[in-house]
Amino acid sequence: MSPMLRRQLPFVALAIFLVLFALVAPHNVVDIGVYALIYGLAAIGLSLLMGLAGQVSLGHAAFIAVGAYTQAVLVSKANLPFLVAAPIAVVASMIVALIVGLPLLRLRGHFLALATLGLGIIIGVIVTESEALGSTSGLYGLPSLAFGGRTYDTAQEYFLLLTPVIVIGMWLAVNLVKSRTGRALSAVNDSEVAAECLGVDTFALRLRVFVLSAGYAGLAGVFYAHWLTIVNPSVTHFEVSVKILLMVVLGGLGTVWGALIGAVAVQVLDEGLRALLPVIIPSAKGEVQLIGFGVILVLVIILMPGGLAQLWSRVRAKLTKPDPAKHGAHEHEISQAEQRELLDKSLGILARTDHEPVGTSILQIEGLTKRYGGVTALDNLSLDIKAGEIVALIGPNGAGKTTAFNMITGVLPPTEGSVKLHGKEVAGQLPHVAANLGATRTFQNLQTFKSTTVLGNVKVARHLRSKAGLLRGMVMADRAEERHIETTAQAAVDAMALTALADHPIADLAFGKQRQVEVARALALEPSLLLLDEPMAGLSGPERDSLSWLLRKVKATGVTIVLVEHDVAAVMALADRVAVLDDGKLISLGTPAEVTNDPVVIAAYLGTDDEAEATVEKAAAAHAVDSASEGGTR
Amino acid sequence: MIDLLQLVFAGLAQGAVYGLVALGFVAIFSVREIVNLVQGEYAALAGLTAISAVGAGLPLLVAILVAIPITIGIAVLLERMTIAPVKKMTPLTSIILTLGVSTAVKALMLLIWGPEAKGLPTFPGSDIVLGGVSIRSQELWVLGVSAVVAYGVIWFYEHTVRGKSLRACAEQPVAARLVGISPRTATVVAFAVAGLVGGVAGIVGSPIYLSSWTSGLTLGLKGFVAATLGGLTSLRVAMLGGLGLGILENLVAGYLSSGYRDAVAFVVLVLVLLFKPHGLAGKSSAVRV
Repeated sequence: MSPMLRRQLPFVALAIFLVLFALVAPHNVVDIGVYALIYGLAAIGLSLLMGLAGQVSLGHAAFIAVGAYTQAVLVSKANLPFLVAAPIAVVASMIVALIVGLPLLRLRGHFLALATLGLGIIIGVIVTESEALGSTSGLYGLPSLAFGGRTYDTAQEYFLLLTPVIVIGMWLAVNLVKSRTGRALSAVNDSEVAAECLGVDTFALRLRVFVLSAGYAGLAGVFYAHWLTIVNPSVTHFEVSVKILLMVVLGGLGTVWGALIGAVAVQVLDEGLRALLPVIIPSAKGEVQLIGFGVILVLVIILMPGGLAQLWSRVRAKLTKPDPAKHGAHEHEISQAEQRELLDKSLGILARTDHEPVGTSILQIEGLTKRYGGVTALDNLSLDIKAGEIVALIGPNGAGKTTAFNMITGVLPPTEGSVKLHGKEVAGQLPHVAANLGATRTFQNLQTFKSTTVLGNVKVARHLRSKAGLLRGMVMADRAEERHIETTAQAAVDAMALTALADHPIADLAFGKQRQVEVARALALEPSLLLLDEPMAGLSGPERDSLSWLLRKVKATGVTIVLVEHDVAAVMALADRVAVLDDGKLISLGTPAEVTNDPVVIAAYLGTDDEAEATVEKAAAAHAVDSASEGGTR
Repeated sequence: MIDLLQLVFAGLAQGAVYGLVALGFVAIFSVREIVNLVQGEYAALAGLTAISAVGAGLPLLVAILVAIPITIGIAVLLERMTIAPVKKMTPLTSIILTLGVSTAVKALMLLIWGPEAKGLPTFPGSDIVLGGVSIRSQELWVLGVSAVVAYGVIWFYEHTVRGKSLRACAEQPVAARLVGISPRTATVVAFAVAGLVGGVAGIVGSPIYLSSWTSGLTLGLKGFVAATLGGLTSLRVAMLGGLGLGILENLVAGYLSSGYRDAVAFVVLVLVLLFKPHGLAGKSSAVRV
């Protein structure tokens, strides 16, 4: 069976199970099931928000309420048919999310959570104050749903009506997680800065997921309204939001299947506690089930942060025996010649043909300055980088090299100065802007996407070279593009001689290997400007040689490279030009030979002791040999 | 004009309560970078405990002196039980965790005290009329007590060596450890301070604004909004932000509709985050790579 078909099996199984359940289970159990499915819809949406956008909504009831009230008004006051009203109600929820998300999702951390908590309160205030919405008594008298010759007024009928809705809702959500958008957002959760430098517009994607999650909640509201045939302010209450949050947390943060399981578990718990608590404590009245919600939320986070999904994967790991072939197998050693052939082939796949002609200026840095209070990390740097050259930034620790990189790539806003990439200003913009213009980078301290494999890391870099949006991903209309992403990402992995490691979780790799994955990832973006921050650190001698060889090859395809490196010998051998920074200032710029003979450099950076001079001489010699050999092979 | 003054003054008293709660958010956030959603519950808990103590026949002052240490104790105990065991705290987990604690505490209060809102008896003193503005004695109590407590907390964190080094813990954990301050101590002190300010806010406010199992939710949110005005790190701006929010709420309630009082905080939050995301006095923090 093809993997694509196998991916559909769980949904078929779910549909069959739900139908059987509705037909077989006693009436009062199906009744609980109806609520579980209604709230489950909202929980699926919230699980996307938490799992993909890494954000939490503490007022998800607000979106259910908007959907429910809109539906109630449209159906009972405007007499619109269900199928016309429902999409409008869903869109109404999404618009509210858009209004809230637009300002708030730009900020990190806690703000969306608290703002949605506030939104829940406000929506509650609005519906209670509004006479048109029935104030405290709400809107009632919604008709029972009837179409297709059936009336959906019993728990069994309603459950059967909800079954296709929930199965399709699940299917769309699971597809989204596995799509280009899901991959990019999962990368953001591992390392926002790395994902942004690969062109992921974090804010735009998060906003879309937030709006989508509100859409799910709005749909839950529609079905809530028709099931209860009354909508009153209680739907906005805090306990509804906590309940949906608990469903997602208990099921497993951000796993769509977990959300559905969590929905069932929490609905059962809810009914159970409501029945049980007043028996144990006779004075108990009101929303006392909240105590169970609160305690379980705390226990899950402390004891089992991955929720039931984590428990399930642990059980499954114990049941499936470790595959000896997978772990004991040797990495296939390939010869250098084979490797270089593979590289040529890979670069053929990755090479772009639209690079600017060698020698045209592609990066203009002018007066770039960064101050932290009284400390000037980078002072008035001006530099003009031409297409097709390799420029090295060298200098002692704290000279401002990485600071310069951070401002060029948009990771840091400059205090002053400008950075023009292909003539467009990128200073002070977010990293994805520079990435969009063809500039990407690696990081001095690793920024890998820890929750995925080597290949998974590299695939993220194809984000800008693919187009499938949220909707295409959800309906699986992205298959051809996904196959292309797979091929090109594999090429980048091959280019870095990581073929044997492609399916390994990146977290299992040694430091030096992870660094090479970062280079592969950057190459997979097909950049016009590649910025490498200490790419040689942690690499063995032969690995350094391979990397130098590779970088020359990459340069030959028309890519411009700027690198920060401490291995002076390697730099002098590789670079066309060297810029020397000291204490935030550019003190020398020229060919390796010019720079090594510059008295200012010798005095300020390399010192005047014998060892340093020896290094310089060795470097210069290496460069001479290298240039000669380059000339010879051409 | 008198209307305006009347509204502003009533707003000041209400705002002082928000400001105290905001101090609790700042005390904890500046040490642990956690937005502690239990903050509002401390106020509700202290108020209800004091009410029960008074109901049991204790004099008001004694009831207060019993309720505040209990609240501080519970604040610290909950931290030890729920925050301390979590090894990897992300913004997402801290939000869910403190929401869980807050929910459980709410429900417990509902079980113990029932759903009705109650108020402490008014503190001694008589209402006065000043230039046509009538001032409730309790409002004077709120302002006076809040001023003293806020001044004390700010003085502790900003002017004593001990307090300053506790806050430094967040920025320089290693250096703090070298001078003998553990992050654990700093956390416990922060939660004790949060319990204290929350408890005081709940008790002085109870005679006017009442205490109930749900009052912590909105109070917490409003305290958070005030704390956000100070970028979640400035105690002074948080306190002033609370006062400002209280006044604004009262003006909206007075001139527009009292139903929309609770919407003010949310609108302020969105506006602040839109235009001054690092607080009114804050500077942007750099991303390190």
